[in-house]
Amino acid sequence: MVDATTRFFEDLDRRGYEPLLAKTSGTLRIDLHEGAQTRHWLLRIDHGRLNVSQEDREADTVIGTSPTLFEDIASGREHGLAALLRGDMTVSGDARLVVQMERIFPGSPDARGPRRRFAGEVH
Amino acid sequence: MGQSNTIRILDGSTFVVCEDTGDIEATPSEPTGLFSLDTRFLSTWVLTVNGERLNSLSFDDLQYFESRFFLVPGMATHYVDAKLSIIRERAVGGSFREQLTILNHDEKPVDLEIRMDAAADFADLFQVKDEILNKKGENYTEVESDKLRLGYRRGNFRRETVISSSSAARYDSKGFAYTVHLEPNEQWNASINVETHAVGPGGRDLRIGLRVHGGGERLALQHDLEQWIADAPKVNSEHGRVASTYRRSLIDLAALRFSPLSLGGATLPAAGLPWFMTMFGRDSILTCLQTLPFTPQLSKTTLRILASLQGSRFDDFRDEDPGRILHEMRYGETAAFEEQPHSPYYGSVDATPLFVVLLDEYERWTGDVALVKELEQESRAALRWIDNYADLVGNGYIWYERRNTDTGLENQCWKDSWDSISYADGTLPPFPRATCEVQGYAYDAKVRAARMARAFWDDPEFADQLEREAAQLKERFNRDWWVDDGQYYALALDPNGRQCDVLSSNIGHLLWSGIVDAERAEKIADHLVGPRLFSGWGVRTLAEGEARYNPIGYHNGTIWPFDNSFIAWGLRRYGFAEESACIANGILDAATYFNGRLPEAFGGYPRELTKFPVEYPTACSPQAWSTGTPLLLLRTMLGLEPHEGHLAVEPRLPMGMGRIEVLDIPGRWGRVDAFARGRLDLNNLAD
Repeated sequence: MVDATTRFFEDLDRRGYEPLLAKTSGTLRIDLHEGAQTRHWLLRIDHGRLNVSQEDREADTVIGTSPTLFEDIASGREHGLAALLRGDMTVSGDARLVVQMERIFPGSPDARGPRRRFAGEVH
Repeated sequence: MGQSNTIRILDGSTFVVCEDTGDIEATPSEPTGLFSLDTRFLSTWVLTVNGERLNSLSFDDLQYFESRFFLVPGMATHYVDAKLSIIRERAVGGSFREQLTILNHDEKPVDLEIRMDAAADFADLFQVKDEILNKKGENYTEVESDKLRLGYRRGNFRRETVISSSSAARYDSKGFAYTVHLEPNEQWNASINVETHAVGPGGRDLRIGLRVHGGGERLALQHDLEQWIADAPKVNSEHGRVASTYRRSLIDLAALRFSPLSLGGATLPAAGLPWFMTMFGRDSILTCLQTLPFTPQLSKTTLRILASLQGSRFDDFRDEDPGRILHEMRYGETAAFEEQPHSPYYGSVDATPLFVVLLDEYERWTGDVALVKELEQESRAALRWIDNYADLVGNGYIWYERRNTDTGLENQCWKDSWDSISYADGTLPPFPRATCEVQGYAYDAKVRAARMARAFWDDPEFADQLEREAAQLKERFNRDWWVDDGQYYALALDPNGRQCDVLSSNIGHLLWSGIVDAERAEKIADHLVGPRLFSGWGVRTLAEGEARYNPIGYHNGTIWPFDNSFIAWGLRRYGFAEESACIANGILDAATYFNGRLPEAFGGYPRELTKFPVEYPTACSPQAWSTGTPLLLLRTMLGLEPHEGHLAVEPRLPMGMGRIEVLDIPGRWGRVDAFARGRLDLNNLAD
């Protein structure tokens, strides 16, 4: 079974466009450190158009974290900005890109969302 | 003002609250300290000379970012023959810097042991009013030859205070000291620097690469403040007091500018000093609406940052939905470890429609069509939130019921205290609840979005649809919320459609939004300046005679200057210029009792009873939307209104206010002046 991180990036690459990033351009590299090994994901954003690769290239923003935490973020079980405040995720470069990127992570799989009082769920 | 004997200086989200000696000795009841990123980096900062505490002769708040303390050794009873003067000058800007100067006035030399006790509890801002017990992380102290490092570590969360001095000091785990010999008339100086670090795992600071406005250095801050004042319109008034209130507001607004981590140095108004130096959706938007004619650049950054953090998914802990505009952002330990939901928290129902309202109002003033186009998707998402996710009862209104039942907000409107929404018998309604003013905001948002859709988004069909929806909402609202007995709108509805039929200040916001039927407007205006709501200073949050009325009840009887400024705007919108001027006059009169700095709220006592406005005991001053109030009142009294590309001026000033001129009002017209003379006789209005 493919992990949530791979699914998340492959899905972005397949879609090729994310409206929430329509005003965003730049490159963002995610470094997932495990022991001496680091796995890279490189996300190129051009006004919402997306391109994903696994290159270790220079980027405007570099996010560093553990594969486990990123797996949780990619599946909506952890929250990116809270992880950033906690120091469990680090950022170098342009912080704005991270805040933009953070919005495209999924919500919690357990979230109920708003419920209509008399007619069940809203969504 | 506010708490007794506390001095506050700040720059962005870094600020110091201390005693009038400059000392910091934090306790739950006196939450003093050096704060940054919602964390207390100094909880003890006590200066002694030869083991003696110092006594304050005087202090100056020189600017919002610097202050100066004149001290002598010993307590008040025995300093009479002091031979020493101690001056502490400090500034906040990037770091916290204190300049110590000691002068020997004696004809003999003296030997001094000068000591600063320093400690940091790294309390989260949410904890400072509690005993700080059982923090989950560990504190550490590192004494080095040239610095003292105080730290706190919880997992990868690390905050550090690093203290160093220009002249050689002896550092120990509880502070640092100097041994000084001073000849007669000699003086000694030391410059102390305190840095606050949010250290990431690689040793990088969370804030690296960020600029605070002005760059953080004292001279740069001074220059930035001068530039800020120079860029804003000038206000001159015959009697001086309106002009001085305006100037106070302008400086406080400068102080309240806040640069979020993700905005690359651009600023928006934070909610208030000291406890709310952060982004609040509602407070930032309402402050921008108040200040648009004077400082339009704040609106642009506010809209952009709120758009960039607009909700994108369902998150029950943060009460987040797609399209929802945030309520509050925090950077401290409790947000980081999700003990509080502010990363960010989305639990407010008014920020989302108000976001659309501000965008339209901003364009009407500035002609900045590019921003309206830039934020089209966010505006559409906000409108979808209103229709899809806020209507929890399914009858076409915005409702609220928190999903985070531990730490979320119960009342998600501006009157957010637990007992602010009640029936006439004083009992509290069940959830979900819908308050009236929010329906007005939704109506206004649709009407304004229709204009933007037609003029800038090239979508006339959407515009038609929005206008249809707005008209239906107005009709529905006027049917469901009108209290026949009292001839006003109910404060709220409960989920069964029962009215919270109390008379409240919220009806004034309805005028501002335009949802009030024309034939009912006069009734509403009469209530607003009538004896149950109007105290002589302003409109009470809740009318005298209601079960929960209390002249010092936070949202149940006090008078909120910001509330009144929007009410005055609403009255003016419906043509009640005298009623509007009456409220503006009362609030601006009240401002003079606070040296031009309006508090968050003051008591609802009748003016003739107390003769002066009784300040509500609050810790927050200046507060952004109180600071913005005089600016909106000026706009309202002068009748400043963008109209077909130029600025219309239609002054209706009360007699006694004399002549007022506002010079260089910025907008799509370039810069324009407005002049007014007090001609309205408000006595005709009374009784």
